[in-house]
Amino acid sequence: MSDPRVEGDTTTVQVLEVLEPGLLTTVQDAGRPGLGHLGIPQGGFADPWSGALANLLAGAPAEAPLLEITALGPRLAVLAALAVGLTGADLGAVAGTADAIRAGRGRRLDPGRAHAIEIGEELAFDPTLAVPNTGFRAYLAVPGGLAVPRVLGSAATSLAGGFGGLAGRALRAGDRLSSVLPGPARPSGTTSAPWSDSPSRPFLPPGTVRGRVRVVPLGASRPAPLEHLCSRPWQVAPTSDRMGLRLDGVALPSGSGEALSHGVVRGTIQVPPDGRPIVLLADHQPTGGYPVVGVAADADAAVLGQLAPGDEVRFEAIPLQAALEARRAVRDALPGLARDPANSGAGRWDELWRWARG
Amino acid sequence: MTGAVEQPRLPSVEPFGEAALLVTLGDTLDVVTARRAQALATAIRSSVGDDPRWADIVPAAASVLVRFDPLALEREAVRETVARLATEVPAAPPRPADARTHAIRVAYGGEDGPDLAALAAVTGMRVEDVIDLHASEEYEVAFLGFAPGFAYLLSVPDPIALPRLATPRPRVPRGSVGIAGRATGIYPAPLPGGWRLIGRTDAILFDPLDPDPVRLRPGDAVRFEPR
Repeated sequence: MSDPRVEGDTTTVQVLEVLEPGLLTTVQDAGRPGLGHLGIPQGGFADPWSGALANLLAGAPAEAPLLEITALGPRLAVLAALAVGLTGADLGAVAGTADAIRAGRGRRLDPGRAHAIEIGEELAFDPTLAVPNTGFRAYLAVPGGLAVPRVLGSAATSLAGGFGGLAGRALRAGDRLSSVLPGPARPSGTTSAPWSDSPSRPFLPPGTVRGRVRVVPLGASRPAPLEHLCSRPWQVAPTSDRMGLRLDGVALPSGSGEALSHGVVRGTIQVPPDGRPIVLLADHQPTGGYPVVGVAADADAAVLGQLAPGDEVRFEAIPLQAALEARRAVRDALPGLARDPANSGAGRWDELWRWARG
Repeated sequence: MTGAVEQPRLPSVEPFGEAALLVTLGDTLDVVTARRAQALATAIRSSVGDDPRWADIVPAAASVLVRFDPLALEREAVRETVARLATEVPAAPPRPADARTHAIRVAYGGEDGPDLAALAAVTGMRVEDVIDLHASEEYEVAFLGFAPGFAYLLSVPDPIALPRLATPRPRVPRGSVGIAGRATGIYPAPLPGGWRLIGRTDAILFDPLDPDPVRLRPGDAVRFEPR
């Protein structure tokens, strides 16, 4: 067992070592809001629902730092027994000894649950076990959250800015990750999110549909070709990233091309001169100058964050009030999990704290 | 005018998704309008303090985006507060009292400013005259956006105020000084971008580890000194 290290008021223990980093694995949290006037993006979880849920399943605060895993997952050595929260896309997570995993005998870790993993095991992602059409990003959380220095108030990795997370970069082999509140949190069996057995919309927030994005029109003085946007499907282009989804399809009529830059939000749908829309994601720039046709309901942030290159996406115009109700439904679904000690592991905190303090 | 877009009365306050309002103060890129946007953002901030239900207040060229928690605040109350403050913004606010002046040393042309020669050719000016003209102006930081610490500086003199390149570069080197219409600016980090690059500076414009991470703040004056 690793020795706990006390740093100031915080006890940390090394819990994971990166053996292979995967395609793009970064530390993310709820981001750094309130700095748009300095040009600094909020950043944070690309799929905020899955990020918060993974943390709650692991027994961490909803906004705590965790690993955001893109398409092809990492291989991690487990340095301390702990319970991890796993959500988002099913990228084929397995746990077990290195030999067992290599022989295809690893324990399969389903998303939407907390899983106990043991010291000396590996936690890996086998792409041959990944389930198609479940999304693009998985979230892996540890009890108490990852111990990562805050930069401008957040541990979120800004890849474009080169700061936050682990020196502003994606994980690489040899990185060691510590948990703020580690411990032998062993859930009796596994803990599941209540809707995770619904095959029609696995792991997405209530009321949302994979590949469907609801859009709130702009004000009366800014009419825009929303009918065009909503009348046909679009494909997610491979040039998409955490800043924005670039969409291929029948190009929209583009406006003058360049307007005065103004503040924008996650979910803003811009139309550059080539008529192919861009939907802004977590790392979007705080201001933009392209014409805007509408803003995605924030309840669908999880849908947007789980779209992979090649996926099809459809837009549906809804009134502002409907977007508000959708937002309320998503918000109200999470605290239920947080309050339930069986899900959140919160009941174990006192015990874990004493253990970690030695 | 038939079929014309209904022109909003300014200032206009309109929804921008379910969790934000966009206040539009004007439709031009100029120092006075930018100061008005900054003044409105400052007024909103001092009115709401550090209430976390007001998530972000982002002033830009001629607008202020106000993000708020629509489940914790009534949209209509937010709209009324913002609209009232917008009508109280002075017609021509002064430069902020704490504004500073920065001298930025720039290596113009060559590899540092790959678009300088072409810009001179388009304008019919000599390269040295383009440099003199760009460096003769005292610019004001209108607002920050695009990237951490990226300041939009106004106003580029007319003869050299050329629009962006038709095709943006996938990667512009850190410190590059560019022109886009009436605005000039410095790339604080390697970024994609379509501004016409005329020079480059070693100045550090953004340091995330500094509690005061941004060097150029709205209202600050900036002079470029040819190296």
